[in-house]
Amino acid sequence: MAGFDWFWKALGGKSGRNQKRSVAIVNQVENHAAELDALDDVALAQRAKDLASGGRIDNHAEFLAILGVASQRTLGLKPYPVQSQAVLRLIEGDVVHMATGEGKTLVGAMAATGLGLMGKRVHSITVNDYLAVRDAEWMRPLVEFFGLSVASISEKMDAGERRQAYKAAIVYGPVNEIGFDVLRDQLITRREDAVQHGADVAIIDEADSVLVDEALVPLVLAGNQPGHAPRGKITDVVRSLKENDDYTIDDDRRNVFLTDKGAAKLEQQLGISSLYDDEHVGSTLVQVNLALHAQALLIRDIHYIVRDSKVLLIDASRGRVADLQRWPDGLQAAVEAKEGLAVSEGGKILDTITLQALIGRYPMACGMTGTAVEATDQLRTFYDLHVSVIERNHPLKRFDEADRIYATMAEKNRAIIDEIALLHSTGQPVLVGTHDVAESEELATALRELNIEVSVLNAKNDAEEAQIIAEAGDIGRVTVSTQMAGRGTDIRLGGADEADYDEVVKLGGLAVIGTARHRSQRLDNQLRGRAGRQGDPGLSLFFVSLDDDVVVSGGSGESVSAQPDATGLIDSDRIRDWVGHCQRVTEGQLLEIHSQSWNYNKLLADQRVIIDERRERLLDTALAWEELAQHAPARAAELEDLDQSVREQAARDIMLYHLDYNWSEHLALMDDVRESIHLRAIARETPLDEYHRIAVREFKDLAQRAVDDAVSTFKSVTIDHEGAHLDDEGLARPSATWTYMVSDNPLAGSGNSVISGIGNIFR
Amino acid sequence: MSAIIQAFKDADLRKKIFFTIAMIVLYRIGAQIPSPGVDYATISGRLRDLTQDQSSVYSLINLFSGGALLQLSIFAIGIMPYITASIIVQLLTVVIPHFEELKKEGQSGQAKMMQYTRYLTVALALLQSSGIVALADREQLLGAGIRVLSADRNFFDLIVLVITMTAGAVLVMWMGELITEKGVGNGMSLLIFAGIATRLPTDGMNILGNSGGVVFAVVLASVLILVIGVVFVEQGQRRIPVQYAKRMVGRRQYGGSSTYLPLKVNQAGVIPVIFASSLIYMPVLITQIVNSGSLEVSDNWWQRNIIAHLQTPSSWQYIVLYFALTIFFSYFYVSVQYDPAEQAENMKKYGGFIPGIRPGRPTAEYLGFVMNRLLFVGSLYLAVIAVLPNIMLDLGVDAGSAGATPFGGTAILILVSVALTTVKQIESQLLQSNYEGLLK
Repeated sequence: MAGFDWFWKALGGKSGRNQKRSVAIVNQVENHAAELDALDDVALAQRAKDLASGGRIDNHAEFLAILGVASQRTLGLKPYPVQSQAVLRLIEGDVVHMATGEGKTLVGAMAATGLGLMGKRVHSITVNDYLAVRDAEWMRPLVEFFGLSVASISEKMDAGERRQAYKAAIVYGPVNEIGFDVLRDQLITRREDAVQHGADVAIIDEADSVLVDEALVPLVLAGNQPGHAPRGKITDVVRSLKENDDYTIDDDRRNVFLTDKGAAKLEQQLGISSLYDDEHVGSTLVQVNLALHAQALLIRDIHYIVRDSKVLLIDASRGRVADLQRWPDGLQAAVEAKEGLAVSEGGKILDTITLQALIGRYPMACGMTGTAVEATDQLRTFYDLHVSVIERNHPLKRFDEADRIYATMAEKNRAIIDEIALLHSTGQPVLVGTHDVAESEELATALRELNIEVSVLNAKNDAEEAQIIAEAGDIGRVTVSTQMAGRGTDIRLGGADEADYDEVVKLGGLAVIGTARHRSQRLDNQLRGRAGRQGDPGLSLFFVSLDDDVVVSGGSGESVSAQPDATGLIDSDRIRDWVGHCQRVTEGQLLEIHSQSWNYNKLLADQRVIIDERRERLLDTALAWEELAQHAPARAAELEDLDQSVREQAARDIMLYHLDYNWSEHLALMDDVRESIHLRAIARETPLDEYHRIAVREFKDLAQRAVDDAVSTFKSVTIDHEGAHLDDEGLARPSATWTYMVSDNPLAGSGNSVISGIGNIFR
Repeated sequence: MSAIIQAFKDADLRKKIFFTIAMIVLYRIGAQIPSPGVDYATISGRLRDLTQDQSSVYSLINLFSGGALLQLSIFAIGIMPYITASIIVQLLTVVIPHFEELKKEGQSGQAKMMQYTRYLTVALALLQSSGIVALADREQLLGAGIRVLSADRNFFDLIVLVITMTAGAVLVMWMGELITEKGVGNGMSLLIFAGIATRLPTDGMNILGNSGGVVFAVVLASVLILVIGVVFVEQGQRRIPVQYAKRMVGRRQYGGSSTYLPLKVNQAGVIPVIFASSLIYMPVLITQIVNSGSLEVSDNWWQRNIIAHLQTPSSWQYIVLYFALTIFFSYFYVSVQYDPAEQAENMKKYGGFIPGIRPGRPTAEYLGFVMNRLLFVGSLYLAVIAVLPNIMLDLGVDAGSAGATPFGGTAILILVSVALTTVKQIESQLLQSNYEGLLK
């Protein structure tokens, strides 16, 4: 790759030129302001429409100036020049890098309005419901000033409301809701049931977390299927097993396996001869594994909570309860069995889409985030998006202290509490970023014992969290938060109303403390970025212990030696480098997983597109009827006396049912293949190529099978004036569908990178 | 055949194939351009006369470079330094902690290692070209006393020669990388492939000229049989069924036929042959260097009993040694490359099982058992292929530089396996772009 440095530099040069041009344009904005101020609202809006007519903007400077004046009149916010610059970069399709507190929401709304005026339908994608609703309401006056409509999507809305909302020119919606709507629209059998109407542009808030961190999270649409929960007996026996004796857990705590002794114990207690023979490998052993996974690796209050007799997952990357998430493939049921709850129904996956594929559906995408630069490579490789850095309006005055490294976890925790107490004693507000719910609870308890009042943000509701975090900058506040809880809300010094602003500034602004390094530096920077907004003073400080997950998994198998002092503090540049190395390793692993999954998902995404096209044609034309009549002319003749539209709809129902059914089977099969495909490398075959070979072969069959199945159903099913009675044939579509996100699929271990060698040259 | 036509119909693939062909053509042109200061007339005259140069220490390298080495062309040392460098860097990841760390850092670490490989390539290229130029300068390259450089050379000319060849090697490296990146197949392998393939006509003519039409026909026929045999064995796999028992049953019936652990009959590939032949050349090379001062061959025990045999590929001693070494290196290389215990551990970790066999040690033992049986057949096959040309020589077929003739087993092995992988890659790309019409 390095041989193409010049190439990347050339690319960089291009965005550099774009930047310069943008700055030049923004410098002219001020010149237009005076003239525009004189215009009344109607004339101003008309002027903007004229400029943007024909789908492109003739005079960028004037256009930006109009948006700015409109913003001031409607919202009382006058955009800074850097904000205007960001709007321009967004309209041209970049991801803009803007620090926290620089007014990303306004920038996004101005860009959306601009694009809307150019006649494009815009989806403004946020990370959660709360922000979608808040931003839509907040920015409504600006958008409506120009005669455009704006709406927001939230989880609670029904299909009718959604359909109405999606008709707006600018739609604010949380990313997973938009994704689920796309999936649901893939299952309709009548065109009028669709809720979405297509869109031209996606403006993505927190672009790096949506496009990189969560990009691989598949959104899954599932239908009911009887569950295969581990039998009670298995759960009980597994419960009696002991760690290290009967089973072992590997270092990164992602996998657990039975020891010989544990297997023998199970076999004895379950009364079977061998867990591993042909009979049990696919049934009992699977249940044992699920039960063991649930038992050993999934810990209550870290990975899930139990509320109202239900197991609710905690979304690790956001640190909050994920209502819509479930574990896949019977694991959910295994956890429910472990907790002694009623075991819910299993799900049959009907369709999935990754966020990456979802964003790929938009002809144009752009976005904004505080940590885009760190994700430049990924954005370019996976999305062909370029990053524009927007300068801060005021220079950064935050002080980033060097990491404090401790030998053990206990020493680190003591030091964290001491540090918080010390900072708190001066009245300086402190925000502590923890990694999971349990850690945040423990820390809060420890602090309360020292009579320090603590607000804890974890896994609750977004709106409430937003209020707490808005106050986190007030004097004497200590806020303990899981990662990124309450994001999208500024922490203003001196409280939300900035009443004690000056005093807090004197105290040194907000102090941000990270209790451990994250898996990538970008996530560290997301946390640091909460301090030092708009040129405010601030402090950021990370604590590290050599027992931290990042250090352990990143430095696996290697040892360091260092001499800690009495408190366990290790003050050594070498160890700091070492910690950095460990973080780079985990970061590299993540990237590797990302690009692997991307490569494997790409073909399926392409195949989806083909299925989509076929669906569209079946939905919008009488193709289904024509094809079925052609394959089964006798049957078609019998139905001649039925109403034409009824006839066609019946054929459509049959065709679509089998198409969807075969597609979901295809997904299940490919999922299965994916798991073992890395073994092909042993025979010096390329796993990816082999995977594609299988995918293509199966896909070919899929097309044929879907039609064949449809023809045979067509021949046998009762069709009357009410349409086709598919239910009678046992071919009912799942009555209830539900959706979930498989975040960080705990079962999807992949040994893809374990096989490599020097023999590649002569393969 | 229709697949080839289809491949050219696909615009993207066509572009890639043409790019690859263009690169190979450039490479071949470069392999014909003599370096400055080389007495081209002498060399080409001498090369034509060169019928029996079995002991040439460079014959394998010469084979890989498509004959460019002995012509002292600008690509004389060709792809070899790059291959050596990448093998060395790969091995260093096991030895040097810093390299190991880099390997773990994923893509950015890989990029850095790539960088080291390139630096090492330049260093090795300098070394090799200096060696060759020194040999040529001492008139030892094409046999003692034959002048290959122009008579009025001075030290500066030699330096220009070394620099030219080094630059040539770097250029070839870049071309190889370009093919991998923008063309089809693995660039390095394809360039070696091209080098070997271009020698087919010349060496064929040699056989025809030296041994007559009947022998030529027999050779052609046996080569054809050999190619078929090699294709057959190279595709041969033992597929051990594997189940990933983390998910619920119900969909088992689909994935079943596709989830297996494949073990190749020839798991080691062509590497053992290369190791074995290099090891045989080693004593000859050292002796030659030691003796390079004197023109007459010394007569002592070492020379009579060791070197004489090692220099005569058609002798039965040579054939037996070569055969044994190849088998040894097959076992050695596979045991380094493929560790059943590690494999079993990994499968266990990711929830994979061989039905009927307990995870962990029993699985490792089972895999080792199967592997050993396959290896027995595989290494015999490899050894037979490797010594075939020597037996041909023994039977009186004369193709010029033996041991590494393009009609020999090693070359056919390389040709076939490169061709197979490349075709497979083209095929999978073709599949991906062509299935789109299916549902319309």
